[in-house]
Amino acid sequence: MSAGTDARRTVESLLRRLVALSGVERLLISLAALVLAILVGAGIILTSGRVATCTQAAAVYFGLGFCYDPLEVYFVLFNGAFGQPFNPGIMAGNLVNPTWSPFTGPLTFTGPLLTTALFTAGWNPLNFSVALTLKETTLLIFTGLSVAVAFRAGLFNIGTQGQLVVGGLVTALVVGSLVPVLPGGLAGALLLVPVGVLSGAVAGGLYAAIPGALKAYADANEVITTIMLNFIAAQLAFVAVSEFFRNPESQVVETAPLPGYATLSSVVFPQGSDFSLFALAFALVLVGVIWFFLERTSYGYDLRTSGIQPEAAEYGGVDAKRTVVTSMMFSGALGGIGGAVWVLMVMGKWQTGVPALGFDGITVSILAGNNPLGTIPAALLFGTLKSGSLAVQFETGVPKQLVGVLRGLIILFVAMPEFFRAIGTNVVDLDADDSKAVATDGGVTGGDDE
Amino acid sequence: MSTQNTLTGLLERDWSYRETLVGGAVGIFVTIAVLGLLLPESLWADLFGIITERSTLSSALRLSVPIVFAALGGIFAEKVGVINIGLEGLLIVSAFVAILVPAILGPTETTLFIPNLWVGFAAGILASVLFSGLFAVVCIRYKADQIIAGLAVWLIALGLAPFAATVYYGGVNTENLGTSLPTWTIPVLSEIPLFGAFFSATPAVYAMLLAVPASWFVLNRTSFGNHVRASGENPRALDTVGVNVSRVRYASVLLSGFLTGIGGAALSLGLGQFIGNNQTMVNGKGFIAIVAYLFGNYNPIGAFGASFLFAGLEAVQIRLQQVPGYAIPDSLIQTIPYVTVIVVLALVGRTRIPEAAGEHYESGDD
Repeated sequence: MSAGTDARRTVESLLRRLVALSGVERLLISLAALVLAILVGAGIILTSGRVATCTQAAAVYFGLGFCYDPLEVYFVLFNGAFGQPFNPGIMAGNLVNPTWSPFTGPLTFTGPLLTTALFTAGWNPLNFSVALTLKETTLLIFTGLSVAVAFRAGLFNIGTQGQLVVGGLVTALVVGSLVPVLPGGLAGALLLVPVGVLSGAVAGGLYAAIPGALKAYADANEVITTIMLNFIAAQLAFVAVSEFFRNPESQVVETAPLPGYATLSSVVFPQGSDFSLFALAFALVLVGVIWFFLERTSYGYDLRTSGIQPEAAEYGGVDAKRTVVTSMMFSGALGGIGGAVWVLMVMGKWQTGVPALGFDGITVSILAGNNPLGTIPAALLFGTLKSGSLAVQFETGVPKQLVGVLRGLIILFVAMPEFFRAIGTNVVDLDADDSKAVATDGGVTGGDDE
Repeated sequence: MSTQNTLTGLLERDWSYRETLVGGAVGIFVTIAVLGLLLPESLWADLFGIITERSTLSSALRLSVPIVFAALGGIFAEKVGVINIGLEGLLIVSAFVAILVPAILGPTETTLFIPNLWVGFAAGILASVLFSGLFAVVCIRYKADQIIAGLAVWLIALGLAPFAATVYYGGVNTENLGTSLPTWTIPVLSEIPLFGAFFSATPAVYAMLLAVPASWFVLNRTSFGNHVRASGENPRALDTVGVNVSRVRYASVLLSGFLTGIGGAALSLGLGQFIGNNQTMVNGKGFIAIVAYLFGNYNPIGAFGASFLFAGLEAVQIRLQQVPGYAIPDSLIQTIPYVTVIVVLALVGRTRIPEAAGEHYESGDD
C-alpha cells in the first residue's frame, strides 16, 4: 500500500520535474501531437474506408467491414519507406503460434513461437526505398531550417515554397549557362555544384527580402505577403521557363537537362534513386552551423531577441527593422538552397509542378520546436511519411494525400499545448505555469501587428 | 523639405492611404476610358470595352461572392478577438462538401422536397461551421496560437479535400454535377444596360448584396455587435458587465464559419464541380479576403468594395485572356490580383487591429 503510494509520488515528482523543463516539454508535446495526429488519421482512414468501394473488406472492426485497415496502412507506410525490413507476412493471420507454450519444456515446444519470420531475409539497408526516404528527409531539412530560422526571429515565413521555386529555377539557369564554358568531369562538378547552390541561396534570399522589407518598413503582415508571393513565384517561374528557357525537345514546361557531372550523383545508394549522400551530409553540416550561429554568436543572439523582445533588442542597440529583413533573407536563402538541391539532386533540371516541400517545412519546423537540431528527426519522420505514402497508395489504395492531412493535424495539435496539459493534469496533478504556445515561444507571432 | 513633410503626413494618416488607393483606382479607370475613347483600335480601347461590358460586371459579381463572404467572416472573427487566418481552409472544405453531398444524394433529385443542390449548399455551410467550431475550441478553450491554428485549418482542408475526392472519385477533382446554381432574372430591371447585371445573377450574388449591409447592421447597431466589438477591444470590460466573453467569441467565430461557408459553397456550386489540384479551386481567395477586410478597415461595406476591386481585376484578367493579339502570357496576367494584394497590403499595412485580437482572455471567475 505505502510502497505503491511512494512509487506514485516518485513518478509524479519525476514527471513534474520533467515537464518543468521546457525542452523536454516541447519534445513531449511534439510526440503527443504526433500520436494524436496518427490516431485521428486512423479515424479518417476508417471513415473513408466506409465510403470507398472495394470488392473485399480489408478489415472488420466493431462488426463493420472497412475498405482500409489503419493498422495495415501505418505498417505499410513504415515498411514501405524503408524497403520492407519487416516481413509483410506478419500482418496476415496470427503472428504468434497459438499452440506454443513455455510450460511444456524446451524439448517439446509445439512449433516456434512466431508463425512467420519477423524480418525480411536479405534486406539491404542501402535499397531504393531508403534512398527515397532520405531524399525527402534531406530536402525537408533545408525547408524546415528555413522556416525555423524565421520563426526564431519572430517571423512566419510561409513563403519557403516560393523561395524554393525561385532558388531552384535560378540554380538550373545559372548551372545550365555555365556548363558550356566550364570543363566537364570532376573539375566541372566541383565548380558547378557549389556555384549552383550558392546562386539558389542568393535568389531565395533576395526573393524573401521582399516580404522582409514590406514587414519592416510598411508593416505588411508577412504571413499574407509570403503566401501571395508563393502564388506569384509559381506563375512567374512558369512564364519564365515556358517563354524563354524552355527545353524545346520536351512536352513538359521544363529547362534543358543538366549534364550528369553537374548534378549531385548518388553514392553508395542505387543509381537513379535521386538521392546523394553528399547532399544529406551538407544538410547535416548546415544544421550544425545554423545551431551554432543562432545559439553561440552575437548576431544569432540579436536575431532571437528581436524575435522574442523587439523593444528590448532595440534598446540593446539592434536595428530591429534591418534584423527583420536580414533574418527573412537568411530564411529565404535556406529555402533557395532547398530548391537548388531539388534541382541538382532530384530533377537534374527545373520542372513546373514543384512539390510542396516548403509547406512541409512548416510542419517540420513546428514539430521540431523551431530548434535547428530538432529538424533532423522531424525531417526524417516526415520523409518517412512522404516516401511511405507511395507504398500505401500502391498496396492499400489509400490516397497518398493522406500525408497532407497528417501534416495539418500535426501542426494543429502542436499549436495546442494546453490540450495536452489538460490531459496531463487529469492523470498527474501538474502545476500548469505558462500558457504560451510552444510553437511560437521562439518569438512573437507575426499576426499580432500593432 | 515640404515634400518630406507631405510624405510624412501621408504616412501618418491611415485614411489617406485608402483615399489614395481608391483615387488611384478611379484615376486608372478614367485614364483607360479617356485613352480608349481617344485611341480606338488600341489596347486601351479593348480594355475600356472589357471594363464596360455587362458580362465583365456579372463575372466580377460572381467572382466577388467567395471573397466577400470570407471577408465578412474574417471581420466577425477578428473583431471578436480571434484572428481567423484559416478562411482559405473553410472555403476549401465548404466548396468540396457542397459538391460531394449532392453527388452522393443524386444531383437532380430532391431530399424532403428540397432540391439536392440546396441540400449540398447547406451541407457545405455546415462543414465550414463545424471546422470553425473546431478552430474556436482550439483557440479559445485550449489557447492555441491563432495564427498557427489558422494555418493548420488551411493545411488540413488542403489535404483533406483532395484526399476525400480521391477516395470517392479516384482523382483530386470531383466529377461535374451536371447542374449548377440557377440564374434568377428580375424582369424589367435586368434589361438596364450594364447595371442589369445586378438583376440577373445567381442567388449567391443576391445573398452577398444582402449580407454586406446586414453584417454592417449587426456589427454596428445590435447588442450582439456591441459585444463582439467589446470582446475584441476590451474583453475585461465586457466581462465586468456580466457578459460571457468566451460565449461571444464562440458565437462570432461560428458566424465567421457560416458566412465563409456560403462563399465556399457558392464557389463550387456555381461551377458544379470541385477542382482539387495544387491549391484547389479556392486558390488563395481566403487570403485575398483577409487583405480585403484590412483594406476595408473591418467595415463590411469597405471590405465589399475591396473584394469587388480584386474580383473585378480577376474578371478583366479572364476576359483579357480571350482577346487575341496580345503576346502577354496568361500566367503573367494571372499574377495581377496577387501583386495588387501585396501592394494594397503594403500601403494599408498600418491597420489598427482590435486591441485584444490574438490574445487569450482569462476570466477571473475560474
